[in-house]
Amino acid sequence: MLAETLSASIVGVEGVAVRVEVDVAFGLPALTIVGLAGSQVQEARERVRSAIRNSGFELPARRITVNLSPADLPKDGTGYDLAIAVGILAASGQLRSVERLADTALVGELALDGAIRPVAGTMALGAAARAAGVPGLLVGSGATAEAAAVAGLEVHGAASLGEAVAHLTGVRKLPAIAPTPLPAAPMRVDAPDLAEVHGQPLGRRALEIAIAGRHNLVLSGPPGIGKTLLLRCAAALLPPLDDEEAVEVSRIYSVAGLLDRRAPLLRARPFRAPHHTISTQALVGGGPRVRPGEASLAHRGVLLLDEMLQFRADALDALRQPLEAGTVTIGRVEGALTMPASFALLSAFNPCPCGWLGARTRACTCEEGTARRYASRLSGPLRDRIDLWVTMDAPVARVDTDGVEPSSAVSHRVAAAWHRQRERQGIANGELPPRELADRNGFGPAVMGLLAQRGRRFNLSPRRLHRTARVARTIADLAGSTSVGREHLDEALRYRAEVASR
Amino acid sequence: MIGVGAAGPIGNEVGVGGRAGPRTEPAQLLSLARERAGWANLDLSGLDAVDERPFWIALSLVPGLGPVGFARLLLRYGSARAAWSAGPELLGELPRLAADTASGLQRLSLTSVDAIASPVEATTERAGGRIVTALEPGYPPALATVDPRPPVLFVSGDAEALVGPAVAVVGTRRATGYGRSAAAEIADELGRAGVTVVSGLAMGIDGEAHTAAIEAGGRTVAVLPSPLDRIYPPRHRELARRIVSTGGALVSELAPGHAPGRPDFARRNRIIAGLARAVVVVEAPDRSGALLTAAAAIDYGKELFAVPGPIDAVASRGCNRLIADQMATLVTSAAALLQRIGAAPGERQASVLNLSEAEALVLGNLLRRPASIEELMGRTRLATGPLASALTLLEARGLVESYGGATFHATLAARRIGRSGGLDGG
Repeated sequence: MLAETLSASIVGVEGVAVRVEVDVAFGLPALTIVGLAGSQVQEARERVRSAIRNSGFELPARRITVNLSPADLPKDGTGYDLAIAVGILAASGQLRSVERLADTALVGELALDGAIRPVAGTMALGAAARAAGVPGLLVGSGATAEAAAVAGLEVHGAASLGEAVAHLTGVRKLPAIAPTPLPAAPMRVDAPDLAEVHGQPLGRRALEIAIAGRHNLVLSGPPGIGKTLLLRCAAALLPPLDDEEAVEVSRIYSVAGLLDRRAPLLRARPFRAPHHTISTQALVGGGPRVRPGEASLAHRGVLLLDEMLQFRADALDALRQPLEAGTVTIGRVEGALTMPASFALLSAFNPCPCGWLGARTRACTCEEGTARRYASRLSGPLRDRIDLWVTMDAPVARVDTDGVEPSSAVSHRVAAAWHRQRERQGIANGELPPRELADRNGFGPAVMGLLAQRGRRFNLSPRRLHRTARVARTIADLAGSTSVGREHLDEALRYRAEVASR
Repeated sequence: MIGVGAAGPIGNEVGVGGRAGPRTEPAQLLSLARERAGWANLDLSGLDAVDERPFWIALSLVPGLGPVGFARLLLRYGSARAAWSAGPELLGELPRLAADTASGLQRLSLTSVDAIASPVEATTERAGGRIVTALEPGYPPALATVDPRPPVLFVSGDAEALVGPAVAVVGTRRATGYGRSAAAEIADELGRAGVTVVSGLAMGIDGEAHTAAIEAGGRTVAVLPSPLDRIYPPRHRELARRIVSTGGALVSELAPGHAPGRPDFARRNRIIAGLARAVVVVEAPDRSGALLTAAAAIDYGKELFAVPGPIDAVASRGCNRLIADQMATLVTSAAALLQRIGAAPGERQASVLNLSEAEALVLGNLLRRPASIEELMGRTRLATGPLASALTLLEARGLVESYGGATFHATLAARRIGRSGGLDGG
């Protein structure tokens, strides 16, 4: 006898609906799972066998074949357990009614005693089910909050296989989980305050612009002058995620298994600061079973690379695509896989190995040429994708502390500028494509003419000019100006990349 | 400091600080290990330049036989020809002779002198230069003060450049924006006054000085640490070409094919000092090669000037100490320097700038002294955004420059306009 249940699989950070077909036939007793099932799925046989028996059902002594369709999609993970077990029960005639199997996706890992455990990526799996036209989702009761974050889906949570079967056959219905209110993760509070940063007006200003328009920022300068501290302040300046973004980002974290299941909706904008020893795979994602890397975990937020030149060259190189396209593409045997990775890059590094090149109060002790080689670790293409570049030095003795603002003041301006961008164009200035540099977005012919003129004067590539214009747009937004003016453009040009002398 | 106070036109003060004239005691500070060769005691007047030429060239090629050994041989034998014919016997004349020098000398003396000299003449010509011995009229008269004097020089470019009045402008390779702008200003003033600018073609201050002199329409001479066929640093090859094509000259005491080493860098500094009437150290940290040039200048009785730097600037520590120890005269402006060496300033054209209030404020500040954004904020009371914007505009108009982006300084063009009163009325 044949039965079919519904489940879903994760590819990258997206879910894909999966049909679980079960056939129970005469023959030697066996349980076979086909459909590019990985080792974790193969082990489902043992879990399903025990769970069925220990839930008071019977595992038919027949030849059982389970096919996971689409059969050419590699599958891994333990989320199919529930769908397989229910499928076997249906195919062996142990269910009173099978109608609901067609409109409920089943996602959960089975314990040997029949308990249903939540799996990573529930949110993405639910979204895949909804996208495939499946109205309902049955998950382990621990995963209901996460699943309920998917709009337009009727979510039920079952503690065990027995409960799930009772619900599906209509014997004892489980209550639907209300989609609202969603428990949100608490906002971050551990960032340092800008008031703690000594001096560095240009660095401060550039950070504000970078956060306000989602631009990429580099701070270069000798050690111990507050580069890292300044960048860490960014976390407190980021406006919270809006509803749509919150679901999008939470889904990525769900796939990565990084969500708190009781409060699964992320409201704080991602702020990822991987250490410089990180592997390329961990930075941009990949591996046999593709997992999102730090670049994708920073989606809609900030990726902070402190001591950027210490990162592996291939890791830095892999950041080129996300910096340009906002996505990461992983090439695999089964075809390329694309994951979202649109972030603002904030980075800091010393200009040379000893760190003191260009510093006023201490001499650089590096061999001639060493600094040049060191700086060349930041490849041209990557350098070209930096929007704001600030060379910092230790503050002079008499620092003017009048103008030092706390983070709260800056985050107000950032939020206002953020709002203006949303109202005008729906996306951040840092994401504006070249065709959007038009009159309707405040780029008049005069300022565009000046941009071209400055480009010739400072020898800037078209990409750099485009990036400069986007930064100028943000500076204008911070000033509350509808149009981009000469002063905004000239300020933006102040933050163009410069090569240290020697 | 090169700039001047807020109100006045720029560069009219006279140098103050050091006393005029050479210092006699060469300094615990500047230890220059040198041997007295006795070139001063040599009487070369009796020697026939044409007859001696191949022998001078050949002897100068003996590995390990430097200008010092050369002078000793001349003292002992009277002429290079006689020294050459003395053959291996002359080995005894040279105490502390390196083994390879001895064998090289022995080997060379078996060969005919022309067979040694003419290939060198040929390779020098191929490198676009010529050989000048100390006996010949093309030899720069200013080098008469130099001891040890290079017996032969390899010269490319205009011989005239080695005759006229010259001032050396030297400094660190790791120059700051301040140092570069000071070097450019001084070299510009010298160039326009018709004074040849001598330097070492190195990166940083040297390159800045050569370039500014050329752009001012003046002559400049580069004393190379390498042979003519091997311009060092390679990144200044184009600059070297410009020096020659604009009436200047390249000078080296090393024969083509010689692989330059560390001592060659130190040794050429004495030629820089020798060729010049005065030496200006623009920017030098402790232990800079420019301080060797300074020591040589003191030794040869040349007037020594130093450009002061901020007291916390490592890049100027050497200069500041030269001034503090009263070894060098403090340079307050390029014009004051000209006055000290008795040259008349060149013509300059007046032009007027059209700047906004904020831009004029920023430029006025930078004309007084280079500054970081932070310092400018304090001095102009402008907010970061408008200040950054004004700086870019000034930069786009070629009035302000930044090396590395941390500190800013007024460019030569801005200084010229400032001096001509173009900033008056903002």
